[in-house]
Formats: sequence, structure tokens, C-alpha cells
Amino acid sequence: MEKKPEWLKVRYNQEAVNEVAALMRDLKLNTVCKEANCPNLGECYRKHTSTFMILGSNCTRNCKFCNVTCGKPEPVDPEEPMNVALAAKKLNLRHVVLTCSTRDDLPDGGAEQFAKSVRAIREVCPGTTVETLISDMKGDPASLDIVIASHPEVLNHNVETVKELQSVVRSKATYERSLGVLRYCKEKDPTILTKTGFMVGLGETEEQIDRLLDDILETGCDILTIGQYLQPSPQHHPLARYATPEDFARYKELALKKGFRHVASAPLARSSYKAWEALEDVHDLY
Amino acid sequence: MEKELTMPKLRPEMESGVLCAWLKEEGDVVSAGEPIYEIETDKVVNQIEATESGVLKKQLIEEGDTVPVSSPVAILETK
Repeated sequence: MEKKPEWLKVRYNQEAVNEVAALMRDLKLNTVCKEANCPNLGECYRKHTSTFMILGSNCTRNCKFCNVTCGKPEPVDPEEPMNVALAAKKLNLRHVVLTCSTRDDLPDGGAEQFAKSVRAIREVCPGTTVETLISDMKGDPASLDIVIASHPEVLNHNVETVKELQSVVRSKATYERSLGVLRYCKEKDPTILTKTGFMVGLGETEEQIDRLLDDILETGCDILTIGQYLQPSPQHHPLARYATPEDFARYKELALKKGFRHVASAPLARSSYKAWEALEDVHDLY
Repeated sequence: MEKELTMPKLRPEMESGVLCAWLKEEGDVVSAGEPIYEIETDKVVNQIEATESGVLKKQLIEEGDTVPVSSPVAILETK
């Protein structure tokens, strides 16, 4: 294992983690923090925040960068939307991020469960904002319409990497489809903020990143996250490099110059890390 | 009162961990929330915080040692 750079050190407090983990267990909920082995789990759980992963912990895809287990999908839990809302209330979250395992087995890709969860949060936690971090739902407009109609403040879908590495890193997704999801959602309801993110360190070049930024921006996307790829295990896509904090600062400057409204770019920036900051920043301008 | 500090389970499939560095020496005063040692996982280096204040009485393992989850790594003397 290559030696970790200084900027990849995180704090971990077992007691703080246990508290949030117990709440999730009691309500039969999953978090992507745990399932994806997120390096920020210790920090976020200590701050009593987390990102809910609805539709079960088993994913129907097996992307080479991702730590979420690929396996037989679980039945959709009808109690889950209300349990998410109750957990959000207990944690006193001002901004809830909902994501999912990709459910290619469901006709609507899980869209209805997203919509129900958004509605439950509206009912139980009035004033709380919601971000839906969705899969590509096979690019199906009918599925996307269901999520859009639930009107989350932010609709997030990650492109994950540059065009050239898509087939290697995300075998069942495509670049064009992911950009199409962002474009469709923005066109359908321009009042919803759209957001995406990608990783560096998978083997991409600077020129490819530059083109990626242009392609994302062309969809009308408002918010961007850029973070370091961290190889979950030796069986995953090999790490090509650790980008430095200075590299991330440079990507941020470039993205803002091109026209993104908010950019979170740092080694440990993740799609939902401090997501409320992006929303507050952009909402002021709205 | 003596309290055993144990190797945390940092991820569901983790069975053991490598303590890569001690951040406190024997005899050092430790405040709750201060990091005591580091464990490297596939993704990052985790600085493990003390959940109680006290004095680090004994380091039970050495830097570089691999220890099963829940096994003792140190003894903290708490009030």
C-alpha cells in the first residue's frame, strides 16, 4: 500500500459513531457513509449528520471505484420513507441528502421511493431542505419525472469520472446518459438546483478534466464536487495518483472561472460532504 | 480507574488493523477528543480519539503491529 499523504488523515471517535450507528440500526436504515466506507464518517457522525442510502444496501451494479456491495437487491421497504424522515428529525438535520443503491431491477429505478421519502421529510421536518443523489435510473424520463415532481431543492447525479474512463470505471453507466440526466432535470424544472461530482486519481489527464468541466457545465449544472479517488480494496480500480490540495484548489478556480456557481474541491470532498454549504451559497444568489 | 483502549472496527468487514503510529507516549495526559494513535485503512489514516480524559498508562503494542478488532492496544488511567 502506497504511503498516505498527510492530507488524508481523518479523526475517528468510536462513541460518536456508535450513537448515530445505533439510530440507523433501530430504524432499519442504511447510510452511504457506512456502505461506501466513507473516510468522513467519523467527522460527519460526530456532527450528527449522515447521508441516507435508501432502497437497500445491495447494488445491482458493480462499478470498479465503489465500495457498495453488489448483490441480490432487497425488497423495497414501505416503512423506509417515514423512517428516513424520523431519523432526520432525531438528528435535527437542516439538509437531508438521500442517495440509493442503483436498482436496475425496479421498473422505475426506485424513483417512487425517492419521491415518497422527500414527501415524508416535508411532512415530518418542515423547513428542512432535501437533496436527492440519484442513480441514472437508466436515463428513463418517466422515472426522472417522478423525482423531479417531488421537488427536492437539489438534484444530484454523479458523472464520477472523465469521458475516457467511463467504461472502465462504471461498466453499466455511460457518460452521455449521465450528462443527459443532468440536462433533462434542469430543463424540466429549472428551479431545482442540479449538482454533480467526479473523482481525480483514476488515471485521467488535465485536458480530459478540462473537457469534462465544459461538458458538465453545458447541461446547466449549478454545483460541482471534486474529490480524491480512494481505492477501497486491492480488487478495485487501481489508484493512479494522489492529487495535492494545491491541485484541488486549481480545479476549483478553473471550474468557477468556467461558470459553476458553487464548487467543493478538496482531497476529502465527497458528493454530500457539507452539502448544506453548497445549497446556502447558491440559494443566496438564486 | 484503568480503562482498556481497544482496536476499533472502522469498517464492517475489518477484522484487524495496523497501528501505524502512537501520537501519545506513556505518561502523557490525554483529553477526551484528543487523538492517541493512528490506524491505516485502505482509504485513509484514522486518528483514533480518546473518548475519556486520563493518563496513557501503558502502550500494549508497538507501531507496525497488527491487532484483531476489539483487542486491547493501551491502558488509560482515568479519574
